[in-house]
Amino acid sequence: MEIIRILLRPLHSWIWLDTARRGRKLLRFAEIEADGGRDLVRAAEVTPDPLLRRLFLFHARDEQRHAELFRRRGAALLKALPGSSRSGLRADWLAPGERGLDDLRIEELKDGALLAFLHLSEKSAATDFASYRDVLERDSSTRAVFEEVLRDEAYHMNYTLSQLVRVSPEHHRVLLWRTRLSRLWKGYLRLALALASVISGLILTILYFTVLVPFGYLAKRAALQEPTGWQPVATDRGSSLDRQY
Amino acid sequence: MKILGISAHYHDSAAALVIDGMPFAAVQEERLSRRKNDAAFPLLAIEWCLDHAGIGPEALDAVVFYERPMLKFDRILTCALRAFPRSWRAFPKAMKNSLGEKVWVRGVISSHLGLPRRKILFTEHHQSHAAAAFLTAPTRRAAILTADGVGEWATLSIGLGSRPPDGAASITLTRELRFPHSLGMLYSTFTAYLGFAVNEGEYKVMGLASFGRPTLVNEVRRLIRRTPDGAFALELEYFEFHTTTQRSYSSRFIDLFGPPRSPYDPIDLETPEGKRFADCAASVQRVLEDTLVDIACALRRETGLPDLCMGGGVALNCVANARILAESGFERLFVPPAPGDAGCAMGAALYADRIHFENPDRMAPDHPFWGPAVDGSALSKLAREDGQSCNEMTDAELIDRTAEDLIAGRVVGWMDGALEFGPRALGHRSILAAPHSAEMRDRLNRDIKYREEFRPFAPVVPIEVADRYFELPPGGARLARFMSGVFPVRPEWRSRLAAITHIDGTTRLQTLEQSMAPRLHALLESYGRRSGIPVLLNTSFNLAGEPIVNRAVEGYSTFRRSGIDVLVAGRTRVVKSASSATRKEKIACSRSVAR
Repeated sequence: MEIIRILLRPLHSWIWLDTARRGRKLLRFAEIEADGGRDLVRAAEVTPDPLLRRLFLFHARDEQRHAELFRRRGAALLKALPGSSRSGLRADWLAPGERGLDDLRIEELKDGALLAFLHLSEKSAATDFASYRDVLERDSSTRAVFEEVLRDEAYHMNYTLSQLVRVSPEHHRVLLWRTRLSRLWKGYLRLALALASVISGLILTILYFTVLVPFGYLAKRAALQEPTGWQPVATDRGSSLDRQY
Repeated sequence: MKILGISAHYHDSAAALVIDGMPFAAVQEERLSRRKNDAAFPLLAIEWCLDHAGIGPEALDAVVFYERPMLKFDRILTCALRAFPRSWRAFPKAMKNSLGEKVWVRGVISSHLGLPRRKILFTEHHQSHAAAAFLTAPTRRAAILTADGVGEWATLSIGLGSRPPDGAASITLTRELRFPHSLGMLYSTFTAYLGFAVNEGEYKVMGLASFGRPTLVNEVRRLIRRTPDGAFALELEYFEFHTTTQRSYSSRFIDLFGPPRSPYDPIDLETPEGKRFADCAASVQRVLEDTLVDIACALRRETGLPDLCMGGGVALNCVANARILAESGFERLFVPPAPGDAGCAMGAALYADRIHFENPDRMAPDHPFWGPAVDGSALSKLAREDGQSCNEMTDAELIDRTAEDLIAGRVVGWMDGALEFGPRALGHRSILAAPHSAEMRDRLNRDIKYREEFRPFAPVVPIEVADRYFELPPGGARLARFMSGVFPVRPEWRSRLAAITHIDGTTRLQTLEQSMAPRLHALLESYGRRSGIPVLLNTSFNLAGEPIVNRAVEGYSTFRRSGIDVLVAGRTRVVKSASSATRKEKIACSRSVAR
């Protein structure tokens, strides 16, 4: 892992160098942390285990605090920029936030599976955040945000693992491996969906500029002739409920 | 006859079940899935409605979807073509979005519920709004006005509803305005410009408007031209919502009103920038109100009827509703508890029952409580597991203790009976507090609701004494039944009702009849005996970004994560222990983790 971290360092340095991108990424992280917090609240609401309920609620509160930290710092970075500098590539795929809870179906998971998922998700986020912190030597405020978040991530990793061992003493290793495989599968699905989206977008764009050109012309002409103001509703228009049109 | 109504796929999915002509159950998907404004196909809501009735899908006589999906697709495709070639980025997104699931609704419903396709029916979007407004209102004949962002093509419709005592009900929509000319889209464009989320932040614009002056009315009027027939048309060069998915206003709009607000910057009303945004909000609010009042006045002249039923998302604008009631000439204005798209599930089911199947008309119960009931014993179990102080008591004891809590300045989470259908907490899933001091308002905004300081809170008052504290015009008490109107607090009470009096001296009042929520009514009376003022602050039981709570466990988790002091569910009362939710408890938890 350490070798990968070292190899990725130049890439992360490049990603986090641009202030606008840094601000936007932090705002994105804020959204993800807030979503994760809500999922943890749901986890607290569905678990039958009172200790887990309390731990999940604390964890949710930490995620909300992280969201606020990221949001404030991201907004401050963007506010300091002139308006024209605010756009740019966010590079989400190359430097992700704490993803993993995004497509989780909390209600369908048992406590053990959820804890395994949370543990690996926190571990992966902690590794990523540590990399980002290391390349932010010139932005001490953003670095401080990551440091504060990382302190909590360490606690989250520890409690999720120890609770996993408590609720599933016999099978915790199996659960961790199963979750690793599930994360891999979800990663593949995300990639496949993104690819499918790009291909379908391309096909539709080609159709738009070829097949739809004459229809576009006709639609524009028809729009010019359309009257404004009240339009009468034909008395029989809504009479049949069988039609979809 | 058992008819299920469904609204889905855009925002606010919901299901509603009508049995033998009467509403039986209705719930928004977000209340069950716990995802705010959940737009997914409402499987959980459908499942709950059917379970509650003790029937399976095969027992349904019809399932009615709240709009016509192919007609909506027609509008989306036509608009993309009209904007050619500027719509080239929006086109693939719009097609992928529509062709994925949204146009195959008949198949989706049929496969989920295992029903033959002939049992699946479709109403028009504004027919559903009209039915939700008219067929649930206690009136026999009324004018109907529905307005929202857009349905299939219609954005605003007017018509007539009739329910003769011994005949068949009818709803006739006579004319409409069509996309892109939309009051809802005008307001949503300003919502986006002011940095709030569209379809969610519109009520923030309404709250912010009170802090500004309508100095930009002339500029807003340049965006919306009145047509000679009394309608209006948007000047489309100021908008982009009909051509792109990136933003809803154009560069010309920015030239006219200045740079938009970043959603991440707080609104500081002391700064010129903050005042500009408040003035923008006040100006668009004024233009919206003026336009609606004009249309309602014309409708009143045309129909000569004393009653008006309003539906659609625009009917959530309580300030506009109050002006319509005061200025249009209508004597009574009925707005249902769920005038938005969720309410269309109920409207579609009622429309099919009364109009399509021609079943005899029946007056629907006049309340919003159609969702799952809360279980007090579930709260007792949770609280005891967590070592919280918990008591179960009789109704009388509980009401007295809660009144004492409120007198002592405690904030109470109040869960009672069945969940409300619609966006307002009307006394069954509410956070209640003493309404007397501005400090209470600030505390609620800061420690409990975690929201902007300019947001006002609403009061609830027994209907029989409402007029003593609030200036209610004729018909005002009715409009306030479901918190659908904003009315002035009487000047002599404003200082003693500071937490619920907005900066302009008004408030979004709920007038409560004893029969609608007897326990809350008793609590108001008990509180009134102690404080001299039977008025309570009533805000929805949720935290920012979350749906209103449904079950006891959700109320409990909200209670644990916020500054709520006391939680009541059914006959169970839980008081937050002093050490609860502190760092100390986290350390205690950590120790048990280590063990």
